[in-house]
Amino acid sequence: MSAEFELSRNITIGQYLPTDSVVHRLDPRFKLAAFVIMILAIAICGTYVGNLFALAICIAMFWVSKIPLHYGLSGVKPAIPFIIILATLQLLFYGEIARGGTVYFQYGFVTISSESVRLVLVSAMRFVEVIFLSSVLTLSTSTTELTHGMERLLGPLQKVKFPVHAFALIITIAIRFVPTFAMEMEKMMKAQASRGADFGTGEWWRIIRRTKDMLPIIIPLFNVALARAEDLILAMEARCYMPGASRTQYTHYKANGKDYAALIISIFISVIMLYIPW
Amino acid sequence: MEKGLTVRRIVIAGVLGAIAILLGVTRLGYIPVPTAAGNATIMHIPVVIGGIMEGWGVGMIIGLIFGVSSFLNATVPLFKDPLVAILPRLFIGVTAYFTYVGLKNINEYFAIGAAGFIGAMTNTILVLGMAVIRGYMTFGVAATVALTSGLPEAIVSVIVTLAVVAAWKNLVKAGKQKSKISG
Repeated sequence: MSAEFELSRNITIGQYLPTDSVVHRLDPRFKLAAFVIMILAIAICGTYVGNLFALAICIAMFWVSKIPLHYGLSGVKPAIPFIIILATLQLLFYGEIARGGTVYFQYGFVTISSESVRLVLVSAMRFVEVIFLSSVLTLSTSTTELTHGMERLLGPLQKVKFPVHAFALIITIAIRFVPTFAMEMEKMMKAQASRGADFGTGEWWRIIRRTKDMLPIIIPLFNVALARAEDLILAMEARCYMPGASRTQYTHYKANGKDYAALIISIFISVIMLYIPW
Repeated sequence: MEKGLTVRRIVIAGVLGAIAILLGVTRLGYIPVPTAAGNATIMHIPVVIGGIMEGWGVGMIIGLIFGVSSFLNATVPLFKDPLVAILPRLFIGVTAYFTYVGLKNINEYFAIGAAGFIGAMTNTILVLGMAVIRGYMTFGVAATVALTSGLPEAIVSVIVTLAVVAAWKNLVKAGKQKSKISG
């Protein structure tokens, strides 16, 4: 029972594993760019061999960045039942959209063809790849580095009046406040439970009841959040923070050969993935 | 209303973005519904509230945060596709804001509720539409999901949005809490 209230312990956002590998030392700008390129390639790639290749690369990434593979697997494990159920559903009902290919089995509206099997397997592989890749990124880069990298990467957008600095600040505030709100939420759940409310004991099929259970937590959570926002606004205004004022930077990144190499390798891998015809 | 990103907009977007992330990582934002999409969600509510309170720009940014966090936390392959998980979420705050502004003159509370409903429907329709286009679902499956999880989502969204925004507006009217510098 008590485990249900331990929200802040389970939050792994911003978890960072300092193993000081090559991947850790990469310039965050280049790391982020390489990550985005690979994710896009994975999202587009729809072939077996292309995805197997991507999977191998993702596993190799763990080895290169000296992060134990179980960190990635822990993200996949809780999802396995979902994947299996969803794959079965897809296999049974998706025959009509994934037309073409050889039909293996047909009965009534259930059609299993080589195309629907491909859809199921590819989307399962894609899922694992994205989890692996994003765990490597977040485990090898601190949140500060990530926001800095993002701010610099989006830098050119300043030319078209996109508020890059403000955007990076928003992300920093969001990440900073997650653990705070988790604590607030824990406090509220305990307060409600001590008054006799129960959470998570309703059977899962009683959707209305489960939703009603959430309301006494969600609504105060928003109000607490907005009250904290007001405090922060006041604090920032009192210190004369001006959005859009020009600022100097404390950290400077200088790209070297390794960073360019990483970017080129990721582009190369993506191109291979997309050009494998099977 | 002032143009551009004010301190207020930056902070509100950040804070509501934090709630969107929190609801995702603690899985409290998911209501298990036995459909092909796996879960109904209430994670679009911070986006709707942000859109109503601070305009479509803030709504879009919180939508982006929600999209990226749902992309990274997804347990179903459907949401591991950035075109399904991120792109449709950008528009939730935008439609919610314009619904609110358009109906505000009729009745403030009606407008807030309607914005909550339209915001939730934007999420449902665009995400499922994208899922159909990308070939994860047939139209029939998508329509079933829209009814079984989309409608409850919209109803919860109306209730929570109305409760939160109405409570907040009353506080502001009473002159408590709100910063007097930016007004």
